[in-house]
Amino acid sequence: MERHEQSGPMPGARFVDPKVLARIGNLELLARHVVDGFINGLHRAPHFGASIDFAEHRGYVAGDDIRRVDWRLYARTDKYYVKQYDADTNTNFAVLLDVSKSMSFGSTGVTKIEYARFLGACLAYMAHRQRDRVGIVTFDEEIVNYVPSSAKHFEVLLHTLDRAQPVRAGRLRAPLEKIAEHFKRRGVVALISDLYEEPDEIFEAIKPYRFLGNDIMVFHVLDPAEIDFPYREASKFQDLETGEEVPIVPESLLAQYRELITAHIEALRAKCSEIRVDYTLVNTSRPLDDALFNYLANRERMMRVR
Amino acid sequence: MSFLTPLFFLGLSALAIPVLVHLIQRERNTPVEFPSLMFLRRVPYQSVQRRRINNWLLFLLRSAAVVLTVIAFSRPFLSQTPIQASIANAGAREVVILLDRSPSMGYGDHWQRAKDEAKRVIDGLGAGDQATLVLFDRSAEENVRATGDKTRLRAAVDAAELSAAASRYAPALRLAQSLLSRSRLGRLETVVVSDMQRTGWDRPEQIQFPEGTTFTPISVAAEDPANVSVTSVTFNRTRFANEERVIVTAAIVNRGATPVANVPVALEVDGLDVATSRATLLPGVTNAVTFPAFTLAQANVRGRVTAGTDALAADNEFRFVLSPARPTPVLLVVRDGAAAAESLYLSSALDVGSPRQFDVLVTPVSKLTEPALTRTRVVIISDATIPGTMGPALRRFVERGGGIFTVAGSRGGPLDAESALLPGTLSEPRDASSARAETLGVIDFSHVVFELFKTPKSGDFSGVRFFRYRPIVPAAGDQVLARFADGTVAMAERRVGAGKVIAFGSTLDSNWNDLVLKPVFVPLIHQVARYLGQVEEQPAWQNAGQVIDVSTQVAAFTAGGTDERVTSAMVVTPGGDRQTVGGSADGSVDLREQGFYEIRPQGAAASGRPFVVAVNIDPAESDLASMDAQEFTAGATGRASMTSGGASTVVKPEESERRQSIWWFLLLIGFGLLVTESVIANRLSQRPAIGI
Repeated sequence: MERHEQSGPMPGARFVDPKVLARIGNLELLARHVVDGFINGLHRAPHFGASIDFAEHRGYVAGDDIRRVDWRLYARTDKYYVKQYDADTNTNFAVLLDVSKSMSFGSTGVTKIEYARFLGACLAYMAHRQRDRVGIVTFDEEIVNYVPSSAKHFEVLLHTLDRAQPVRAGRLRAPLEKIAEHFKRRGVVALISDLYEEPDEIFEAIKPYRFLGNDIMVFHVLDPAEIDFPYREASKFQDLETGEEVPIVPESLLAQYRELITAHIEALRAKCSEIRVDYTLVNTSRPLDDALFNYLANRERMMRVR
Repeated sequence: MSFLTPLFFLGLSALAIPVLVHLIQRERNTPVEFPSLMFLRRVPYQSVQRRRINNWLLFLLRSAAVVLTVIAFSRPFLSQTPIQASIANAGAREVVILLDRSPSMGYGDHWQRAKDEAKRVIDGLGAGDQATLVLFDRSAEENVRATGDKTRLRAAVDAAELSAAASRYAPALRLAQSLLSRSRLGRLETVVVSDMQRTGWDRPEQIQFPEGTTFTPISVAAEDPANVSVTSVTFNRTRFANEERVIVTAAIVNRGATPVANVPVALEVDGLDVATSRATLLPGVTNAVTFPAFTLAQANVRGRVTAGTDALAADNEFRFVLSPARPTPVLLVVRDGAAAAESLYLSSALDVGSPRQFDVLVTPVSKLTEPALTRTRVVIISDATIPGTMGPALRRFVERGGGIFTVAGSRGGPLDAESALLPGTLSEPRDASSARAETLGVIDFSHVVFELFKTPKSGDFSGVRFFRYRPIVPAAGDQVLARFADGTVAMAERRVGAGKVIAFGSTLDSNWNDLVLKPVFVPLIHQVARYLGQVEEQPAWQNAGQVIDVSTQVAAFTAGGTDERVTSAMVVTPGGDRQTVGGSADGSVDLREQGFYEIRPQGAAASGRPFVVAVNIDPAESDLASMDAQEFTAGATGRASMTSGGASTVVKPEESERRQSIWWFLLLIGFGLLVTESVIANRLSQRPAIGI
C-alpha cells in the first residue's frame, strides 16, 4: 500500500484543519463538508458500482428492516432470515471505534476521540454516498455500542459516534473477537484506535475479521505529543486509563521513548503489511485527507477485485 | 569574629530551598495526563537521575545567597582586629591569683592546700610573666601587685592569714577584671583558689573579663565536710530579787551529711563555765540547747557558747555581750490636781514590757524642777500648762539631748516664752461634727515613730476617732508626722539642739479620742518614748567584717571620779592590737577579727568597765556547700568555658558600629548573587517546553 507523506496536504484539495472541524457540532454536516470538498478536489471521481443480484440469506438481528425478512424461508424453517442483495449496496462498511479513556487525550485542541469521530463520520459518509451499508461498533474493554451495517443506519451511526465518550480503560482483543461473529459477510472494516497494545495482541484481535474475508483498514490515531514527546519539566505522568502515576524526567528518557514509539509504529506497519491490512498512522494535528484518501484507494481496489 | 544573633543560623536550613527548587519543586504536584505509560514504563527509572543537580552554577548561586543572607542577619562583628588577635595569642602572661582567706578556708587543711596551689601557679610563671596576688573575703585586697618576682609572691602567700569576714566573690572578681583590663601583656589569666563556697554568691554576678582571659578556678573543697556550728543565741531575761537573770538558748546546726551524737555544748560567762550539756544533731537540722539561768549583775558581760570539735573551729564558738536592761527614765507631767485616772492610760502603756523598758515618774506641773529634768531622758507633758519659769530649763534639757512629748489637751500651750520648743502653735479646740468623728488622714510612715506600722496589717490608725482636737500650725522647719482628715496637722516634730520635741494635737485619754483603746496605742507610745529618749539597743554580737560607730559609747565615758566626758577611747582588738577612736580620729571600728573588742576610755585617769563588742564569723561561712568548677566559671563569667570571650574594653559607639557593619556587605553580595541567579535562570528557562 502506498504510504502517504504527512508533511503537507495533497495538492489541489481543500482540507480543513481539525481544530476548525471541532467547532462544527453536526457530524453529518461535518462529514459532508469534508468529503465533498475532498472528492471535488480529486482529479477523477471514484467508481460507484451497483448490483441487484441476490447474494445470500443471513440471520435477522435487531435493527434489521423487517421488510427484508424472507417470510417464505421463515415458513419453512421457522427462523428469521434476511435476504441480501448485491443490488442493495455494494458492500458492508463497519467502523470499529476505540472509545477507551486513552482516546480522550489531546494536546493540540482536538482530542483523539474527537478526531476519531470526524474520521469515522467522514468514512461512513463516503460509504453511505456510494450506497454501502454502514455500521459501527464502539468498544473499550467491552462492546459499548453495536450498530449493524445497513443502508439506513447512517443516522444511527452518526448518533452513536456523537455520544461516544471515552470513560473506561480499553482492550482490543476481547471485544473485537466477540463482535467478529457478526461480520460474516465480506466488507470493509475500519479500526480506529490508538493501539496501545502489543502488535501481536492487536493482530490476534483483528485476525478473525481477516479470516472472514473483510478488508481491514487500521487507523492508528495518535496525538503529536505521543509521537514527539515534547515535555521538558520533570513531573508525574498519569496513565489516563489506569490512573497509575510515574515520576518522569522527560529529558532523560526522551530519546528512548521516541525510539520505542517509532519501533511500535514500524512493527504495526510491518505486521499489517504481512497480512495485507491497510495501516494508516493518523496524526491528530493534521487534516483528515490522509485517512480519507487511504479509504478511497482501498475501496477502489476492492471494486476492481469484485 | 562573633555574632550578635547566632540564632539566625537556624536559617541555614533554608539551604534546602535551592535543592528543593532543583529537585522537588520542578516536579509538579499536578500530574501530567498521558494516554498510556506503556512505553514510558519500559524506560529504566533512574532515581539518581532525578537527584542530579542539573545546573550547578544556579545551585551554587542560590546556596551562596542564602548563606550570606543568614550570616548577615546573624549580625557578625569583629570583637578585635586580626592583628590584635594574633598579639593576644602570644607573649607574656598577666596572672591574677585570687586567694580566698575567708574563715571557711580554715576547715581541715584547706588553707594550706590553697596556699600550695597558689604557689604552684606562681612557680609556673615564665620569664616576662607577671602575677598579682589578691587576698579576698568580704572584700578584696591587692596584696602583691603585678610582679614577676616569684620569691616575693611566694613570701606573700606564706604570710597570708585567714580572716573572719565572710567570703564574697564579686569584689575579688571585679578587682581581677580591673587589673587585667589595664594590663599591657598579651595573655590574661585569672586563677581563683577557693573552697568555692556557694554562699559566696549572693546574687548572679557576671564579670566581663577582657576577651581571651583564661579563667581557672581551683577548688580545695572537701567532698562531704562535717561541720557543727553555733549560729545564734537568744536571751530570756527575767527580774528576780532586784537582779536580772538570763536564760541563754543556743541554736546549734549540723551542716554535715551524717548525724553527730553526744556533741558537748558549753556556756561560759566572763570566763566561768555556767553549764555543759550534750546534744545529738541530725544532719541539716537546727537544735536548740537551753542553759540554766545566770545572774546578770553588771554591764558588758562576755558570754561564749562552744559546740563541737570539728575541722572548722571558727564557727564552733559563738560570743555575745550582755548588759543589764536599763529602763529609760520618763517624767510624766500632769496638771495640778489631776486625778490618777487622767494619766492612767499613759503610765500603764509605758509600764508594759518585760523587762520594763521605761521608768515612769508622774509629777504635777507645779512640782516640775530643773534637777528633775536632769534625771530623766523623756518628758511627757499631758494636758498641762508649763509655767514660764520652766521654759529655759526645758530648753536646756532639750538642747542636751532630752526629748519632750507634749499632749495638747485643752491646757497645752507654749513651752517657753520664745516659743522655741513647741513645733508651731496650737489652735483652739475643735469639735468634730456630731455625725462623723475626725480621723487621721495622712501619716508619715517613713518617720521612726510610725515606721513600725509601715507594713500592712501591722497597725491600723484609720479606726481612731477624734471627737475633739487642736490642730497644730507648724512653723517653717517643723516636720509634720500626721494630719487629720481635714488636712490640719495632728502631730509635728521640732529638733532643738541635740534633742527633739513632738506635739500631739489631742489628748491621750478616752475623752477627746479613742486612740488609747486601740491596739496601736501601746507600741506608738513606746516608739515615741524610745525615739525621744534616743534609746539605742546594743546588739549582743556583731558579724565580722562589719564597721560600727562607737562614738556614742565613747561619749558616755567619764573621767575618773568626775562628770567630765572623755573625747577619745582606745580599741583593743581580739588579737591585742590597739587603735584610737574618737577625738580627732574617726569613731568607726572595723571588726576584722573574731572575738571580743574592748573599747576603753583613753588616759590613765579614765575609769569604768570597758565597753565590749562580741564579734562572730558570718553564719553563712558555716555552710560549706561548694560549687563545682564549671558552675563557678559560669557564675563568674557567664560562660561555661574556661576562656572568657567577653569584651570588657570600652568600645566607642562608632567603633562598635564599624565592627558590626559587615552584615551590610554580606547582604549586598547576597542580593547581587540573587540578581545574577535570576538572570541566568531566565535565560535557561527560555528553552521550548510544553506547558507543564
